[in-house]
Order: sequence, then structure tokens, then C-alpha cells
Amino acid sequence: MKRLKYPLYFSFPAIAIFLLFFIAPTIIGVYYSFTDWNINADAIKFIGLDNYVELFKEPRLKQAFINTIIFAAAVTVLQNVTGIALALILNEKLKSRNLLRMIFFMPYVIAPLVIGYIFRAIYHPGHGVVNQFLDLIGLDFMMQDWLNDPKYALFTIIITDIWRVAGFSMVVYLAGLQFIPKDLIESSSIDGANYWSRFRHIVFPLLAPAFTVNILLAMIGSMKVFEIVMVLTEGGPGYTTEVFYTLIRTTFSSGEMGYATAVNMLLFAFVSLVGVPVLMMMKKREVEM
Amino acid sequence: MRKMKAVYPVLTVMLATLALSACGSNNKENASPSSSASVSAPASSSAASPSVEPKKDPVTLTFLIPNTDDVTPYNEIFSEFEKQTGNKVEVQALPGGDYDNMLKTRFSTGDFPDVFLMQPGTKQYVKLRADETLTEWSKEAGVWDNVIESIADFQKTPEGLAYGVPFGKTGQMGVFYNKEVFTKAGVEPPKNYADLIEIAKKIKAAGVTPFYEAVKEGWPTQIFYLSGWVSQVDQAVGAEGVQKLNVNEMKLSDIAELKDLFTKAKELKALDLFQKNALSGTYDEMQNEFGDGKIGMIFMLDGVLPQLEKKFGKEFLTDKVGFFPFPSATDAGTAMITPPNQLMVPSKAKHLEQAKELVKFMISQESINKFYASQPGIPIFKGATSEMYPVQQTVQGFIDAGKSTVNVQNRLTASFLDLGKTLQNFHIDGDVDKAINEMAKNYIKDGNSKRLTGFE
Repeated sequence: MKRLKYPLYFSFPAIAIFLLFFIAPTIIGVYYSFTDWNINADAIKFIGLDNYVELFKEPRLKQAFINTIIFAAAVTVLQNVTGIALALILNEKLKSRNLLRMIFFMPYVIAPLVIGYIFRAIYHPGHGVVNQFLDLIGLDFMMQDWLNDPKYALFTIIITDIWRVAGFSMVVYLAGLQFIPKDLIESSSIDGANYWSRFRHIVFPLLAPAFTVNILLAMIGSMKVFEIVMVLTEGGPGYTTEVFYTLIRTTFSSGEMGYATAVNMLLFAFVSLVGVPVLMMMKKREVEM
Repeated sequence: MRKMKAVYPVLTVMLATLALSACGSNNKENASPSSSASVSAPASSSAASPSVEPKKDPVTLTFLIPNTDDVTPYNEIFSEFEKQTGNKVEVQALPGGDYDNMLKTRFSTGDFPDVFLMQPGTKQYVKLRADETLTEWSKEAGVWDNVIESIADFQKTPEGLAYGVPFGKTGQMGVFYNKEVFTKAGVEPPKNYADLIEIAKKIKAAGVTPFYEAVKEGWPTQIFYLSGWVSQVDQAVGAEGVQKLNVNEMKLSDIAELKDLFTKAKELKALDLFQKNALSGTYDEMQNEFGDGKIGMIFMLDGVLPQLEKKFGKEFLTDKVGFFPFPSATDAGTAMITPPNQLMVPSKAKHLEQAKELVKFMISQESINKFYASQPGIPIFKGATSEMYPVQQTVQGFIDAGKSTVNVQNRLTASFLDLGKTLQNFHIDGDVDKAINEMAKNYIKDGNSKRLTGFE
């Protein structure tokens, strides 16, 4: 059978858009990170690696780097654990499963800014729901200033973000679960495999493509976290919840465009360095059906 | 089929043309009223008169203001302006903490407002690259006649140029106290700093929290240091020292009296004189607790007064709120005053002539009296009538006695960048050296970023 081939020029508009809006700004960004572009300067000068040298001397970068890694690692792991657990539960024949699927997915549809504002009220040390509830059930010794105590602030943001994004992972895993042939599951049951064995030897390997998508998206998304941190703590108290993007915002808004672009480039390099090997590793373990 | 093939490119070209022409015509429509309005605008000098005839083609001017400012008097003035000229004014209140950044971003993208309110001082000219972006007012008729000379002088560069028109009132920073709490604790305003600590201890003993710090929001924490500066740092470094700081010939971290302010703040915390959970303290909660008599004193600026009046009524301000400057080691201290804000008009404002007209309208006698009726304060205009709050009368007394100094931030061109964040960190770790070194480093960074002489 002759295979239908489309002419190459059909792809030109898409390539042009990609070049214009993705590749060109990235190349320009790389160039600007080597300049002293500043809102107060008359001209933009090439300054070589000065921005990067200055950046590595900045104690806030170290703090932002550590916080971003902690945030990304915690969110990636817990978002996926929660997502797969929800998917497995809601893949069962429950009466209210459609309603529950919608409820768990809903936070993902709400803008992170809105969620941030809602949770700011929820975590309020005086009249927030969390502390009020702890007080009500006699756990008042656990009441904390969740967003303003440096010990808990980052942890609180992580929990909030997991609540927001777990529903998305759940949907991807649910889609993956739908593709697992039912006869495989049934035959393994007949062979006497219990739930855990079925999950470990059949479901888990066949969910590999969904894992790849979820892990990668969660990792990249959480390394680029901004809105939820901005609304909940603005990177504070002090610099205790500073992440890459809040640092970029500070430098960018103080007019240091070249320097801010250098921070952004560093994040881009970091995400690529982590993301590409993870993608390759995850692809290897995907099973062809 | 061949015919159809020919139709697709033609359709594509037509669609593209349509889209582009739609963009073009839209621009034309947008541009038209502004350009015609600016041509038909009359000479700006007539604008000062409150009885201007309404224009045939009214325009809508945009006015930017930080949302920390009360917009009530502005709305009243703009309503009158609209009645008299037909031109509307759209007030856009931007978040106070991000005001400068949002404004600079709008400038850099060419999205100029018509008029905007800016913090005091010629340092703002540097920040906004005034010579390229703002309207210059020094020779404009009908602007300076009523402005008090010292205020007009402060507004101008050494070359005599003014890129802003002063508006508002002379402000103050220092310690506002709840008189009822003081009565309950049996204390009087302090005679020196040691006395302040004793008073705070007595207030605590009376069951009231002596001080409230809105650490979460960062900016209120700066007031302790800024009001402390005029009472103890200025005495040590003098005008010469400030000038050295201006050209980066002196380091902030080398000023022992400034370091002492950090030590004093640490001592207040160690003595447990702040409220519990200071890290979650907010400006709003501070007002509530102060008004309810749960807090004895706040290091604050006079911007809090309209907020307190809204929440607790005018009588609360006139009868129950007192003020004293940050006390020095030897006396009651020096009152820190802030020059008035300024009105600025971008030279590329969409409705430049009408914007200038609006500024002149805002500083007309009728408008400024309207402003002071809503926001009483120490007037900056000759002949203006303002019923001052007692706390403002207290500061007026210090000014009259020659015991007042302008905020150091208004005397320095570079800013204490991110001082709020530095102080939040200081509140957490209490490391005096780290805090003052960070403050010094950020000050130099800001000077360098603004390309100031001596900071290269």
C-alpha cells in the first residue's frame, strides 16, 4: 500500500512559529545574560561572564537553589505517589468514582494564585482553619505559624502544591490504567496473583509511559515554581522559601535585566541537566505492548 | 481541483490582509482622539483655574497611585475636574510594595500613564531617568507660586530642574503610642532611649504588648532604623557623612551608630517586648491591635493615620493617639519628617496637555483644601487650610524648634535595597554583623545598578 506523504513545506509555518517564538528568544536570552542590560543604563554592553561570576557569589542563589531542589524533589515524588494511589482507587468500580475524579482534579484547574490566596487564609496562625481544627480536636500543641515560621514555611508550600497538582497526575495514571488489557489482569488473578503482585509485575511496568510523562512534567514544573510561593510567602520570611523564580523576579524588577536573564539561563541549564537524563532513563524502562 | 488549489493561497492572502488591516485601523482609531485632543488642548496655564470650560472632545486620563494611599481625596478632586473640563480620570491603584517595579516596567514597555504619584525627592529622577522620560516643571507658570520655598527647593536638582510637582503634606515617622495604654501603665513619653525601654517594660507589666512589628510585610520593620537614624546616626556622621554615603566614600557597615540600632532592635526582641508571632505580623493586624489597645507603641509612618481613622473614628486619632520621635541616648530625639510626594507626568503621556492641566488643577487652592480636609497634615502650600491631628501638631512643634530632619532615604540617591527582607532575616537569626553587611552590600548594589558616580 502506498503511504501518503505530505509535502515538507506544510511544516514551514509550524517551524517558523517555533523559531520565532521559542528558539529566537532563547538565543537572544543567552546573549543578554552576557550583557549589563539594566533599566538605568543608556546602552547595553557585553560583559562576558561577569553576571555569572556575580551570581555565584550571591548567597541568595545558594538558598534559592537548595529550596528549589527540596521543593522539586518532594513535589515530584509525593505528587506521583498521591496521583497513582488516587488513580488506583478511582479505577475500581466505585459508585461515586466520576464525581471523585472530578473533585480530585478540580484544584488543578484553579489558578495557583487563587489557591495561594485561599491557603493563606487557611494557614493563618490565629483564625486559619488548620490551627482551629487542631485546637478543636485537642492537638493545640501542634498549632504552628505555618507560613511564617522558617521551620515550616517551605514544607507548607510543598503540601499545598501537592494538593493542587496531584489530580493532574491521577488523570494521566488513570489514562495509563485504561490501556492495560483487562485479560492480563484477569489471567493473573486466575493464576493466583494477589493485588500487590499484580501491581508490581503487571500494572507498574505497563504504566511506564504514564510515569515518564508525570515524573518529567512534575519535575520541570516544580523546578519552575513561582506563583504559589509568591502568594504564600513571597520567598520569605527572609529568604527561607526563596526559589529560582522569586529570585529572578526580584532581580528583574529591580531593573537588572542582564543579571536576571543569567539567573534564568542557569535555571534552564539546571532543568536540562536533570530533565534529559531522567527522560532517557525513564524511556528505557517503558514496555512495548 | 486545480481551481480549488488556486483559491487557497488567495484566501490566505485575503485573510492575512484583513487581519493586518484590522490591526492598523484599530491603531488609527486609538491614536485619533489623543492626537486631536492634544492639538485642541488650550494653553496649560488656564488649567489652574477651577472654572475651565468643558472640552468638546473629552479624554480619559490615567492616574497611578500606590494602593497604600487613600484614594478618597483624589477621587473627589478628579470628580470636580471632570465636572469642569469634561475629562475623566481613571485611578489605577497598584500594589504598594511593587509600585516602583510596575511603574518602571510600564515605562520600559512604553505604556505610560498620564499622571502618577511618586515618592519624594530628586532621587526618583535618577530611578525614572527623568531627563528622558518626564515633563520638566521648573519654568511652568502657575505651579510654584504657592509651594513653600523649602519644599520647592527640595524638589529641584542642583541645576534647578524639577521633574515632579510636590503634592500632599509633610509626613512623619517615629513612635505612635496609645494614650490609654500609657495611662494604664502610668507612663509618659520617654526622655531618652533608656527611658523608652523602661516604659516598654512597665507596659508589659501592665499586661499589654509594648511594641508591634509587621515583620511579614517587611517594609514596616524599616521604620525603626530610619527614625532611629535621624536621632543617633545623623548626629554622628553629620551632613558630610551622608554626602560621603551618596558617593560611596563611606560604608554603612562602618557606621557604629547604625550597627547600634541593630543591637537595640535585637535587645527589644530579647526582652520580649514585641508581640508573639512577630514574623506573621501584618500592617492590618497592627492597626487593629493598636486601635483595640492591645499594643502600646508602633514604629510607624503617618500613612497609618487615615487607616486608623477609618477603623476607629476621628476621635480615636484626636484623643487617643500620641507621637514621639525615636529617642536618642541623651534626649527625646529628633523628629523624622518626610517631604511630600510628587506628581509626575511622562513626557510621552498619551494626553500630555490634559495631564499637565490636571496637575495644575490638583494644586489649585480649592483642590488642596479638599485634599487636606480628607487627609489632614502639615501643609506644603502657602495659604492652605488643614486641621492637623495632635500627632502632626507634635511634629510641627519639633519642626518649629529646629529638631527635625528629613528621612535619610530622601537624602540619599541610592536606596536601601531589600532592607525589609534583610530585616526579616535579622528577625529570624539575630545576626547583627550579617544584617548590617547585607544592608551595606545591597546599598552599593543599588547605587551600581543606578549607575551612580562612585558606585561603579
